[in-house]
Amino acid sequence: MTAVLPPPPAAAQLDPAFVADATVTATEVSVWFGQKVALSELSCSFGPGVTGLLGPNGAGKTTLMRAITGLIPVNQGHVTVDGRSPRDDREVYRRLALVPEDEAVPGGLTPRRLCSYVADLHGITDRSIVDWALHTVEMVPVAERSIDGFSKGMRQRAKVAAALVKNPLILVLDEPLNGADPVQRLHLIELFRRLGAEGRTVIVSSHVLNEVESMAERVIVVVRGRLAAAGGHRAIRDAMDDVPRQVLVRAPDGRRLAAALLGNEVVRGITVDGDDLTISTTRARELALLLPRAAQDLGVHLTEVRPLDDSLESLFRELVR
Amino acid sequence: MTAATHVGRARPALLALVGYTLRACLPNRRWIAILVPAAASLLFGFLASTVSDTAVSAFASTASTALFGLVMPVTCLVIGDAVLGAEVRSGAFTFTWMAPVPTWQIAVGRWLGGSIPAAGCLAVAFAAAAMVAGASESVVPVAIAAAFGAQAYVAVFIAIGCITKRAAVWSIAFVFLVERLLGAALAGVAQLSPSWEARAAFVGLADAREDFFRDGIPHGTAALVRLSLITAVALLLASRRLHNLKLTGSAD
Repeated sequence: MTAVLPPPPAAAQLDPAFVADATVTATEVSVWFGQKVALSELSCSFGPGVTGLLGPNGAGKTTLMRAITGLIPVNQGHVTVDGRSPRDDREVYRRLALVPEDEAVPGGLTPRRLCSYVADLHGITDRSIVDWALHTVEMVPVAERSIDGFSKGMRQRAKVAAALVKNPLILVLDEPLNGADPVQRLHLIELFRRLGAEGRTVIVSSHVLNEVESMAERVIVVVRGRLAAAGGHRAIRDAMDDVPRQVLVRAPDGRRLAAALLGNEVVRGITVDGDDLTISTTRARELALLLPRAAQDLGVHLTEVRPLDDSLESLFRELVR
Repeated sequence: MTAATHVGRARPALLALVGYTLRACLPNRRWIAILVPAAASLLFGFLASTVSDTAVSAFASTASTALFGLVMPVTCLVIGDAVLGAEVRSGAFTFTWMAPVPTWQIAVGRWLGGSIPAAGCLAVAFAAAAMVAGASESVVPVAIAAAFGAQAYVAVFIAIGCITKRAAVWSIAFVFLVERLLGAALAGVAQLSPSWEARAAFVGLADAREDFFRDGIPHGTAALVRLSLITAVALLLASRRLHNLKLTGSAD
Protein backbone atom coordinates (compact mmCIF):
# COMPACT_ATOMS: atom_id res chain seq x y z
CA MET A 1 0.00 0.00 0.00
CA THR A 2 1.35 3.43 -0.90
CA ALA A 3 0.17 6.30 1.23
CA VAL A 4 1.16 9.62 -0.31
CA LEU A 5 0.73 12.40 2.19
CA PRO A 6 0.56 16.11 1.37
CA PRO A 7 3.79 18.14 1.46
CA PRO A 8 4.21 20.70 4.22
CA PRO A 9 2.70 24.15 3.64
CA ALA A 10 4.68 26.49 1.40
CA ALA A 11 5.15 28.97 4.25
CA ALA A 12 7.04 26.30 6.15
CA GLN A 13 9.73 26.32 3.48
CA LEU A 14 10.94 29.67 4.80
CA ASP A 15 11.29 28.34 8.30
CA PRO A 16 14.87 27.28 9.14
CA ALA A 17 13.41 24.10 10.56
CA PHE A 18 12.50 23.14 7.01
CA VAL A 19 14.55 22.59 3.90
CA ALA A 20 13.45 23.10 0.31
CA ASP A 21 14.41 19.64 -0.95
CA ALA A 22 13.09 17.67 1.99
CA THR A 23 13.19 13.90 1.94
CA VAL A 24 11.94 13.51 5.50
CA THR A 25 9.23 15.71 6.94
CA ALA A 26 7.71 15.74 10.39
CA THR A 27 4.57 17.84 10.65
CA GLU A 28 3.09 18.74 14.01
CA VAL A 29 4.30 15.44 15.41
CA SER A 30 3.31 14.53 18.94
CA VAL A 31 4.21 11.28 20.63
CA TRP A 32 3.40 10.30 24.16
CA PHE A 33 3.90 7.22 26.26
CA GLY A 34 1.16 7.12 28.86
CA GLN A 35 1.40 10.36 30.80
CA LYS A 36 4.84 11.23 29.42
CA VAL A 37 4.95 13.49 26.39
CA ALA A 38 8.02 12.61 24.35
CA LEU A 39 7.39 14.90 21.37
CA SER A 40 5.06 17.85 21.28
CA GLU A 41 3.85 19.35 18.00
CA LEU A 42 7.30 19.15 16.49
CA SER A 43 7.65 20.19 12.86
CA CYS A 44 10.84 20.05 10.86
CA SER A 45 12.27 18.51 7.74
CA PHE A 46 15.51 16.94 6.62
CA GLY A 47 17.12 17.01 3.21
CA PRO A 48 20.32 15.85 1.52
CA GLY A 49 23.43 16.39 3.60
CA VAL A 50 24.21 15.79 7.23
CA THR A 51 21.81 17.16 9.83
CA GLY A 52 22.71 16.94 13.48
CA LEU A 53 20.00 16.23 15.99
CA LEU A 54 20.85 17.65 19.38
CA GLY A 55 19.23 17.71 22.75
CA PRO A 56 19.78 16.58 26.31
CA ASN A 57 18.94 13.10 27.50
CA GLY A 58 15.21 12.58 27.37
CA ALA A 59 14.68 15.48 24.97
CA GLY A 60 12.98 13.29 22.39
CA LYS A 61 15.77 12.77 19.85
CA THR A 62 15.49 9.00 19.83
CA THR A 63 11.70 9.19 19.78
CA LEU A 64 11.87 11.50 16.76
CA MET A 65 14.25 9.11 15.02
CA ARG A 66 12.00 6.17 15.78
CA ALA A 67 8.98 8.09 14.48
CA ILE A 68 10.89 8.98 11.31
CA THR A 69 11.84 5.36 10.75
CA GLY A 70 8.33 4.13 11.52
CA LEU A 71 9.35 2.07 14.54
CA ILE A 72 6.71 3.83 16.60
CA PRO A 73 3.45 5.45 15.48
CA VAL A 74 2.87 9.14 16.10
CA ASN A 75 -0.13 10.09 18.23
CA GLN A 76 -0.69 13.34 16.33
CA GLY A 77 0.65 14.84 13.13
CA HIS A 78 2.40 12.83 10.48
CA VAL A 79 5.81 11.82 9.21
CA THR A 80 6.66 11.35 5.57
CA VAL A 81 9.77 9.72 4.18
CA ASP A 82 10.24 10.24 0.48
CA GLY A 83 6.58 11.32 0.38
CA ARG A 84 5.34 8.14 2.04
CA SER A 85 4.31 7.20 5.52
CA PRO A 86 6.87 4.81 7.04
CA ARG A 87 4.17 3.16 9.17
CA ASP A 88 1.94 2.36 6.23
CA ASP A 89 4.31 1.61 3.39
CA ARG A 90 7.02 -0.94 4.08
CA GLU A 91 8.62 -0.22 0.69
CA VAL A 92 10.07 2.88 2.40
CA TYR A 93 12.57 0.57 4.06
CA ARG A 94 14.27 -0.19 0.77
CA ARG A 95 16.23 3.05 1.04
CA LEU A 96 15.73 4.04 4.67
CA ALA A 97 18.23 2.72 7.18
CA LEU A 98 18.62 3.15 10.91
CA VAL A 99 21.61 2.62 13.15
CA PRO A 100 19.80 2.25 16.46
CA GLU A 101 21.14 3.43 19.79
CA ASP A 102 20.47 0.06 21.39
CA GLU A 103 23.65 -1.87 21.94
CA ALA A 104 21.84 -5.08 21.11
CA VAL A 105 22.74 -6.68 17.84
CA PRO A 106 21.62 -10.10 16.72
CA GLY A 107 23.75 -12.56 18.65
CA GLY A 108 25.55 -15.50 17.18
CA LEU A 109 26.15 -13.72 13.88
CA THR A 110 29.32 -12.41 12.33
CA PRO A 111 29.32 -8.95 10.73
CA ARG A 112 29.33 -10.62 7.32
CA ARG A 113 26.31 -12.77 8.17
CA LEU A 114 24.46 -9.76 9.58
CA CYS A 115 25.11 -7.80 6.38
CA SER A 116 24.14 -10.80 4.24
CA TYR A 117 20.93 -11.16 6.23
CA VAL A 118 20.03 -7.52 5.60
CA ALA A 119 20.92 -7.95 1.92
CA ASP A 120 18.69 -11.03 1.68
CA LEU A 121 15.76 -9.24 3.30
CA HIS A 122 16.13 -6.45 0.75
CA GLY A 123 16.46 -8.77 -2.21
CA ILE A 124 19.90 -7.39 -3.03
CA THR A 125 21.53 -9.48 -5.73
CA ASP A 126 24.84 -7.59 -5.87
CA ARG A 127 26.62 -9.45 -3.08
CA SER A 128 29.77 -7.36 -3.40
CA ILE A 129 27.92 -4.62 -1.55
CA VAL A 130 28.40 -6.69 1.61
CA ASP A 131 32.17 -6.59 1.11
CA TRP A 132 31.98 -2.88 0.33
CA ALA A 133 30.00 -2.14 3.49
CA LEU A 134 32.42 -4.13 5.66
CA HIS A 135 35.39 -2.49 3.99
CA THR A 136 33.88 0.96 4.45
CA VAL A 137 33.67 0.56 8.23
CA GLU A 138 37.03 -1.27 8.32
CA MET A 139 35.54 -4.53 9.55
CA VAL A 140 36.97 -6.87 6.91
CA PRO A 141 39.61 -8.34 9.28
CA VAL A 142 36.93 -9.24 11.84
CA ALA A 143 34.13 -10.00 9.38
CA GLU A 144 34.07 -13.68 10.33
CA ARG A 145 34.20 -13.18 14.09
CA SER A 146 31.06 -13.43 16.22
CA ILE A 147 29.52 -10.07 17.09
CA ASP A 148 28.87 -11.41 20.60
CA GLY A 149 32.52 -10.81 21.51
CA PHE A 150 32.69 -7.31 20.06
CA SER A 151 33.22 -4.12 22.03
CA LYS A 152 30.54 -1.44 21.92
CA GLY A 153 32.40 0.51 19.28
CA MET A 154 32.82 -2.53 17.06
CA ARG A 155 29.13 -3.33 17.41
CA GLN A 156 28.33 0.20 16.32
CA ARG A 157 30.46 -0.25 13.24
CA ALA A 158 28.79 -3.58 12.47
CA LYS A 159 25.42 -1.82 12.68
CA VAL A 160 26.64 0.93 10.38
CA ALA A 161 27.81 -1.70 7.90
CA ALA A 162 24.41 -3.40 8.03
CA ALA A 163 22.77 -0.03 7.33
CA LEU A 164 25.10 0.70 4.41
CA VAL A 165 24.21 -2.60 2.74
CA LYS A 166 20.87 -1.05 1.84
CA ASN A 167 22.65 1.71 -0.08
CA PRO A 168 20.29 4.05 1.78
CA LEU A 169 19.06 7.38 0.49
CA ILE A 170 18.11 8.26 4.04
CA LEU A 171 20.36 7.19 6.87
CA VAL A 172 19.30 7.76 10.47
CA LEU A 173 22.06 7.34 13.03
CA ASP A 174 21.24 7.39 16.72
CA GLU A 175 24.41 8.06 18.70
CA PRO A 176 26.53 6.19 16.14
CA LEU A 177 29.87 7.18 17.64
CA ASN A 178 29.18 5.73 21.08
CA GLY A 179 32.02 3.49 22.12
CA ALA A 180 34.16 4.13 19.03
CA ASP A 181 37.83 4.89 19.63
CA PRO A 182 39.19 8.30 18.49
CA VAL A 183 40.55 6.98 15.20
CA GLN A 184 37.30 5.23 14.39
CA ARG A 185 35.34 8.33 15.36
CA LEU A 186 37.26 10.38 12.84
CA HIS A 187 36.81 7.69 10.25
CA LEU A 188 33.06 7.43 10.84
CA ILE A 189 32.65 11.22 10.86
CA GLU A 190 34.43 11.35 7.51
CA LEU A 191 32.18 8.56 6.23
CA PHE A 192 28.99 10.34 7.29
CA ARG A 193 30.18 13.58 5.72
CA ARG A 194 30.96 11.73 2.52
CA LEU A 195 27.54 10.08 2.49
CA GLY A 196 25.96 13.49 3.01
CA ALA A 197 28.04 14.98 0.22
CA GLU A 198 26.81 12.21 -2.08
CA GLY A 199 23.31 13.65 -1.70
CA ARG A 200 22.02 11.25 0.91
CA THR A 201 19.96 12.49 3.83
CA VAL A 202 22.02 11.73 6.92
CA ILE A 203 20.42 12.44 10.29
CA VAL A 204 22.77 11.96 13.19
CA SER A 205 22.36 12.43 16.90
CA SER A 206 25.22 12.51 19.34
CA HIS A 207 26.17 13.69 22.78
CA VAL A 208 29.68 14.50 21.60
CA LEU A 209 28.69 17.90 20.37
CA ASN A 210 31.95 19.03 18.86
CA GLU A 211 31.81 15.99 16.60
CA VAL A 212 28.33 16.89 15.43
CA GLU A 213 29.62 20.39 14.86
CA SER A 214 32.36 19.01 12.66
CA MET A 215 30.11 16.86 10.50
CA ALA A 216 26.69 18.51 10.35
CA GLU A 217 25.99 21.55 8.21
CA ARG A 218 22.63 21.90 9.83
CA VAL A 219 21.44 21.36 13.35
CA ILE A 220 18.01 20.65 14.78
CA VAL A 221 17.83 21.18 18.52
CA VAL A 222 15.11 19.37 20.43
CA VAL A 223 14.43 20.26 24.03
CA ARG A 224 11.68 18.67 26.12
CA GLY A 225 10.05 17.22 23.04
CA ARG A 226 9.83 20.55 21.25
CA LEU A 227 11.85 22.13 18.51
CA ALA A 228 14.18 24.59 20.24
CA ALA A 229 16.27 25.80 17.31
CA ALA A 230 17.19 24.94 13.75
CA GLY A 231 19.76 26.03 11.21
CA GLY A 232 23.55 26.30 11.08
CA HIS A 233 25.04 26.32 14.55
CA ARG A 234 26.48 29.81 14.14
CA ALA A 235 23.20 31.10 12.75
CA ILE A 236 21.38 29.72 15.74
CA ARG A 237 23.90 31.34 18.03
CA ASP A 238 23.56 34.71 16.29
CA ALA A 239 19.81 34.53 16.51
CA MET A 240 20.02 34.23 20.25
CA ASP A 241 20.87 37.86 20.90
CA ASP A 242 19.39 37.85 24.32
CA VAL A 243 21.63 35.04 25.47
CA PRO A 244 24.83 36.32 27.09
CA ARG A 245 28.09 35.09 25.66
CA GLN A 246 31.31 34.90 27.57
CA VAL A 247 34.68 36.00 26.31
CA LEU A 248 37.95 35.26 28.07
CA VAL A 249 40.44 38.13 27.94
CA ARG A 250 43.94 37.53 29.24
CA ALA A 251 46.06 40.63 29.82
CA PRO A 252 48.62 41.83 32.36
CA ASP A 253 47.00 44.52 34.50
CA GLY A 254 43.60 43.21 33.52
CA ARG A 255 41.92 44.96 36.45
CA ARG A 256 42.52 48.36 34.85
CA LEU A 257 41.00 47.11 31.61
CA ALA A 258 38.02 45.68 33.52
CA ALA A 259 37.40 49.01 35.23
CA ALA A 260 37.44 50.81 31.89
CA LEU A 261 35.06 48.33 30.26
CA LEU A 262 32.53 48.11 33.08
CA GLY A 263 30.94 51.42 32.23
CA ASN A 264 30.28 50.44 28.64
CA GLU A 265 26.77 49.33 27.70
CA VAL A 266 28.17 46.50 25.56
CA VAL A 267 29.47 44.76 28.68
CA ARG A 268 26.97 43.09 30.98
CA GLY A 269 29.45 41.92 33.58
CA ILE A 270 33.08 41.06 34.22
CA THR A 271 34.63 38.43 36.44
CA VAL A 272 38.27 39.04 37.33
CA ASP A 273 40.58 36.18 38.25
CA GLY A 274 44.17 37.41 38.35
CA ASP A 275 45.07 38.41 34.81
CA ASP A 276 42.00 36.65 33.39
CA LEU A 277 38.84 38.59 32.67
CA THR A 278 35.64 36.78 31.81
CA ILE A 279 33.41 39.30 30.07
CA SER A 280 29.69 38.68 29.61
CA THR A 281 28.00 40.37 26.67
CA THR A 282 25.00 40.08 24.42
CA ARG A 283 26.72 42.10 21.67
CA ALA A 284 29.81 40.10 20.82
CA ARG A 285 30.59 41.90 17.57
CA GLU A 286 30.63 45.30 19.25
CA LEU A 287 32.77 43.91 22.05
CA ALA A 288 35.24 42.67 19.44
CA LEU A 289 35.65 46.27 18.24
CA LEU A 290 35.63 47.80 21.71
CA LEU A 291 38.26 45.56 23.29
CA PRO A 292 41.34 46.42 21.20
CA ARG A 293 40.42 50.12 21.28
CA ALA A 294 40.15 50.14 25.08
CA ALA A 295 43.34 48.15 25.46
CA GLN A 296 45.21 50.56 23.18
CA ASP A 297 43.89 53.59 25.08
CA LEU A 298 45.04 52.09 28.40
CA GLY A 299 48.32 50.75 27.03
CA VAL A 300 47.33 47.21 28.04
CA HIS A 301 48.70 44.32 26.00
CA LEU A 302 46.10 41.65 25.24
CA THR A 303 47.73 38.23 25.31
CA GLU A 304 44.60 36.20 24.60
CA VAL A 305 41.01 36.83 23.57
CA ARG A 306 38.89 33.72 23.26
CA PRO A 307 35.13 33.08 23.25
CA LEU A 308 34.35 30.62 26.01
CA ASP A 309 31.07 29.41 24.67
CA ASP A 310 31.05 29.68 20.90
CA SER A 311 30.44 26.02 20.46
CA LEU A 312 27.41 23.83 20.19
CA GLU A 313 28.07 22.63 23.66
CA SER A 314 27.42 26.03 25.20
CA LEU A 315 24.53 26.71 22.87
CA PHE A 316 23.05 23.44 23.95
CA ARG A 317 23.49 24.37 27.61
CA GLU A 318 21.78 27.67 27.11
CA LEU A 319 18.94 26.20 25.15
CA VAL A 320 18.10 23.70 27.81
CA ARG A 321 18.49 26.11 30.69
CA MET B 1 29.12 4.43 -3.45
CA THR B 2 31.34 2.27 -5.54
CA ALA B 3 31.44 -1.47 -5.43
CA ALA B 4 32.59 -4.01 -7.94
CA THR B 5 29.52 -5.67 -9.40
CA HIS B 6 29.11 -9.25 -8.34
CA VAL B 7 25.55 -10.16 -9.13
CA GLY B 8 24.33 -13.32 -7.47
CA ARG B 9 20.91 -14.63 -6.55
CA ALA B 10 19.27 -13.16 -3.52
CA ARG B 11 18.05 -15.75 -1.07
CA PRO B 12 14.27 -15.55 -0.65
CA ALA B 13 13.41 -13.40 2.36
CA LEU B 14 11.47 -16.23 4.02
CA LEU B 15 14.48 -18.55 3.84
CA ALA B 16 16.73 -15.78 5.15
CA LEU B 17 14.34 -15.26 8.06
CA VAL B 18 14.32 -18.97 8.92
CA GLY B 19 18.11 -19.21 8.68
CA TYR B 20 18.54 -16.09 10.78
CA THR B 21 16.10 -17.35 13.42
CA LEU B 22 17.98 -20.62 13.74
CA ARG B 23 21.34 -18.88 13.98
CA ALA B 24 20.74 -15.65 15.85
CA CYS B 25 17.70 -16.37 18.00
CA LEU B 26 18.80 -19.77 19.22
CA PRO B 27 22.39 -19.39 20.34
CA ASN B 28 24.19 -22.06 22.36
CA ARG B 29 22.81 -20.90 25.69
CA ARG B 30 19.26 -21.34 24.45
CA TRP B 31 20.07 -24.78 23.09
CA ILE B 32 21.11 -25.89 26.56
CA ALA B 33 17.81 -24.60 27.91
CA ILE B 34 16.04 -26.62 25.22
CA LEU B 35 18.04 -29.82 25.64
CA VAL B 36 17.72 -29.98 29.44
CA PRO B 37 13.92 -30.47 29.45
CA ALA B 38 14.25 -32.76 26.46
CA ALA B 39 16.65 -34.89 28.47
CA ALA B 40 14.23 -34.74 31.38
CA SER B 41 11.63 -36.44 29.22
CA LEU B 42 13.89 -39.51 29.15
CA LEU B 43 13.80 -39.49 32.92
CA PHE B 44 10.01 -39.39 32.83
CA GLY B 45 10.11 -42.30 30.41
CA PHE B 46 12.21 -44.21 32.90
CA LEU B 47 9.80 -43.36 35.71
CA ALA B 48 6.91 -44.65 33.58
CA SER B 49 8.73 -47.94 33.22
CA THR B 50 8.65 -48.37 37.01
CA VAL B 51 4.87 -47.93 37.31
CA SER B 52 2.99 -51.17 37.92
CA ASP B 53 0.65 -50.92 34.95
CA THR B 54 0.83 -51.89 31.30
CA ALA B 55 3.65 -50.08 29.55
CA VAL B 56 1.28 -48.20 27.22
CA SER B 57 -0.98 -47.03 30.03
CA ALA B 58 1.88 -46.08 32.31
CA PHE B 59 3.51 -44.06 29.54
CA ALA B 60 0.18 -42.46 28.56
CA SER B 61 -0.28 -41.32 32.13
CA THR B 62 3.24 -39.94 32.38
CA ALA B 63 3.09 -38.31 28.96
CA SER B 64 -0.24 -36.62 29.70
CA THR B 65 0.91 -34.98 32.87
CA ALA B 66 4.68 -34.60 32.61
CA LEU B 67 5.61 -34.53 28.94
CA PHE B 68 2.69 -32.59 27.47
CA GLY B 69 1.91 -30.70 30.65
CA LEU B 70 5.40 -29.59 31.61
CA VAL B 71 8.26 -30.48 29.27
CA MET B 72 6.55 -29.30 26.09
CA PRO B 73 5.38 -25.88 27.35
CA VAL B 74 8.71 -25.12 29.03
CA THR B 75 10.75 -26.05 25.95
CA CYS B 76 8.45 -24.11 23.63
CA LEU B 77 8.46 -21.14 26.00
CA VAL B 78 12.24 -20.95 25.78
CA ILE B 79 12.14 -21.13 21.98
CA GLY B 80 9.01 -19.05 21.45
CA ASP B 81 10.36 -16.16 23.50
CA ALA B 82 13.76 -16.37 21.82
CA VAL B 83 12.45 -16.16 18.26
CA LEU B 84 10.62 -12.88 18.77
CA GLY B 85 9.92 -11.55 22.26
CA ALA B 86 13.55 -11.44 23.36
CA GLU B 87 14.58 -9.61 20.18
CA VAL B 88 11.81 -7.05 20.53
CA ARG B 89 12.86 -6.40 24.12
CA SER B 90 16.55 -6.04 23.30
CA GLY B 91 15.99 -3.79 20.29
CA ALA B 92 17.69 -6.17 17.84
CA PHE B 93 14.39 -6.79 16.06
CA THR B 94 14.73 -3.49 14.17
CA PHE B 95 17.19 -5.22 11.79
CA THR B 96 14.37 -7.50 10.69
CA TRP B 97 11.47 -5.13 10.99
CA MET B 98 13.03 -2.37 8.87
CA ALA B 99 12.92 -4.41 5.69
CA PRO B 100 10.50 -4.30 2.77
CA VAL B 101 9.18 -7.71 3.71
CA PRO B 102 5.48 -8.34 4.43
CA THR B 103 4.78 -8.87 8.11
CA TRP B 104 3.25 -12.29 7.45
CA GLN B 105 6.61 -13.44 6.09
CA ILE B 106 8.34 -12.22 9.23
CA ALA B 107 5.80 -14.05 11.42
CA VAL B 108 5.96 -17.26 9.38
CA GLY B 109 9.76 -17.11 9.06
CA ARG B 110 10.19 -16.73 12.80
CA TRP B 111 7.64 -19.47 13.44
CA LEU B 112 9.36 -21.89 11.06
CA GLY B 113 12.75 -21.08 12.57
CA GLY B 114 11.38 -21.75 16.04
CA SER B 115 9.05 -24.66 15.41
CA ILE B 116 11.56 -26.73 13.43
CA PRO B 117 13.94 -27.20 16.39
CA ALA B 118 11.09 -27.29 18.92
CA ALA B 119 9.09 -29.92 17.06
CA GLY B 120 12.17 -31.92 16.08
CA CYS B 121 13.66 -31.86 19.55
CA LEU B 122 10.44 -32.74 21.39
CA ALA B 123 9.32 -35.39 18.89
CA VAL B 124 12.65 -37.21 19.21
CA ALA B 125 12.81 -36.79 23.00
CA PHE B 126 9.22 -37.95 23.55
CA ALA B 127 9.67 -40.90 21.19
CA ALA B 128 12.84 -41.85 23.06
CA ALA B 129 10.92 -41.57 26.32
CA ALA B 130 8.29 -43.98 24.98
CA MET B 131 11.05 -46.41 24.07
CA VAL B 132 12.59 -46.12 27.53
CA ALA B 133 9.16 -46.72 29.05
CA GLY B 134 8.82 -49.85 26.94
CA ALA B 135 5.77 -48.49 25.10
CA SER B 136 6.99 -48.91 21.56
CA GLU B 137 3.41 -48.67 20.23
CA SER B 138 3.29 -45.09 21.53
CA VAL B 139 6.45 -43.92 19.76
CA VAL B 140 4.79 -42.64 16.59
CA PRO B 141 1.67 -41.16 18.24
CA VAL B 142 3.67 -39.30 20.87
CA ALA B 143 6.13 -37.98 18.27
CA ILE B 144 3.32 -36.72 16.03
CA ALA B 145 1.43 -35.14 18.92
CA ALA B 146 4.65 -33.51 20.21
CA ALA B 147 5.48 -32.07 16.80
CA PHE B 148 2.01 -30.60 16.27
CA GLY B 149 1.81 -29.35 19.85
CA ALA B 150 5.22 -27.72 19.66
CA GLN B 151 4.51 -25.82 16.46
CA ALA B 152 1.19 -24.59 17.91
CA TYR B 153 2.90 -23.48 21.11
CA VAL B 154 5.64 -21.58 19.25
CA ALA B 155 3.00 -19.80 17.14
CA VAL B 156 1.06 -18.82 20.28
CA PHE B 157 4.21 -17.53 21.98
CA ILE B 158 5.15 -15.53 18.87
CA ALA B 159 1.68 -13.98 18.90
CA ILE B 160 2.10 -13.11 22.58
CA GLY B 161 5.49 -11.56 21.71
CA CYS B 162 3.75 -9.34 19.16
CA ILE B 163 1.05 -8.27 21.59
CA THR B 164 3.04 -7.49 24.70
CA LYS B 165 6.58 -6.39 25.47
CA ARG B 166 6.78 -8.67 28.51
CA ALA B 167 6.33 -11.74 26.35
CA ALA B 168 8.04 -14.18 28.70
CA VAL B 169 5.87 -13.21 31.67
CA TRP B 170 2.65 -13.33 29.68
CA SER B 171 3.64 -16.62 28.09
CA ILE B 172 4.18 -18.16 31.53
CA ALA B 173 0.83 -16.73 32.61
CA PHE B 174 -0.77 -18.30 29.53
CA VAL B 175 0.67 -21.72 30.35
CA PHE B 176 -0.01 -21.80 34.06
CA LEU B 177 -3.10 -19.64 34.48
CA VAL B 178 -4.98 -20.08 31.22
CA GLU B 179 -4.00 -23.62 30.27
CA ARG B 180 -3.36 -25.31 33.61
CA LEU B 181 -5.91 -23.51 35.75
CA LEU B 182 -8.74 -22.50 33.43
CA GLY B 183 -8.07 -25.26 30.93
CA ALA B 184 -8.35 -27.91 33.63
CA ALA B 185 -11.74 -26.59 34.69
CA LEU B 186 -13.24 -25.50 31.37
CA ALA B 187 -13.24 -27.72 28.28
CA GLY B 188 -13.90 -24.66 26.14
CA VAL B 189 -10.57 -23.15 27.21
CA ALA B 190 -8.80 -26.51 26.88
CA GLN B 191 -9.91 -26.69 23.25
CA LEU B 192 -7.74 -23.64 22.57
CA SER B 193 -4.78 -24.97 24.52
CA PRO B 194 -1.82 -26.55 22.69
CA SER B 195 -1.03 -28.57 25.80
CA TRP B 196 -4.50 -30.07 26.19
CA GLU B 197 -4.95 -30.60 22.47
CA ALA B 198 -1.53 -32.24 22.10
CA ARG B 199 -2.24 -34.72 24.87
CA ALA B 200 -5.70 -35.35 23.34
CA ALA B 201 -4.04 -35.99 19.99
CA PHE B 202 -1.64 -38.44 21.62
CA VAL B 203 -4.21 -40.45 23.56
CA GLY B 204 -6.43 -40.58 20.47
CA LEU B 205 -3.66 -41.70 18.14
CA ALA B 206 -2.24 -44.14 20.70
CA ASP B 207 -5.68 -45.60 21.28
CA ALA B 208 -5.13 -45.25 25.00
CA ARG B 209 -7.50 -46.32 27.73
CA GLU B 210 -10.89 -44.59 27.89
CA ASP B 211 -10.08 -42.75 31.14
CA PHE B 212 -7.35 -40.73 29.42
CA PHE B 213 -9.92 -39.14 27.11
CA ARG B 214 -11.46 -35.87 28.17
CA ASP B 215 -15.03 -34.96 27.31
CA GLY B 216 -15.56 -31.90 25.15
CA ILE B 217 -12.17 -32.02 23.44
CA PRO B 218 -11.50 -33.56 20.03
CA HIS B 219 -9.01 -36.42 20.10
CA GLY B 220 -6.60 -38.07 17.69
CA THR B 221 -6.57 -36.65 14.18
CA ALA B 222 -9.27 -34.10 15.03
CA ALA B 223 -7.00 -32.72 17.73
CA LEU B 224 -4.18 -32.40 15.20
CA VAL B 225 -6.52 -30.37 12.99
CA ARG B 226 -7.39 -28.24 16.00
CA LEU B 227 -3.69 -27.68 16.73
CA SER B 228 -3.15 -26.62 13.12
CA LEU B 229 -6.04 -24.18 13.44
CA ILE B 230 -4.57 -22.74 16.65
CA THR B 231 -1.28 -22.31 14.79
CA ALA B 232 -2.91 -20.57 11.83
CA VAL B 233 -4.94 -18.20 14.01
CA ALA B 234 -1.92 -17.37 16.17
CA LEU B 235 0.22 -16.62 13.11
CA LEU B 236 -2.53 -14.49 11.59
CA LEU B 237 -2.79 -12.55 14.82
CA ALA B 238 1.00 -12.21 15.00
CA SER B 239 1.15 -10.95 11.43
CA ARG B 240 -1.49 -8.30 12.07
CA ARG B 241 0.05 -7.22 15.34
CA LEU B 242 3.53 -7.03 13.80
CA HIS B 243 2.23 -4.38 11.45
CA ASN B 244 1.27 -2.21 14.43
CA LEU B 245 4.24 -3.08 16.60
CA LYS B 246 5.81 -0.29 18.66
CA LEU B 247 9.56 -0.75 18.76
CA THR B 248 10.49 1.58 21.55
CA GLY B 249 13.91 0.04 22.18
CA SER B 250 15.58 -1.63 25.12
CA ALA B 251 15.75 1.51 27.25
CA ASP B 252 11.99 2.00 27.41
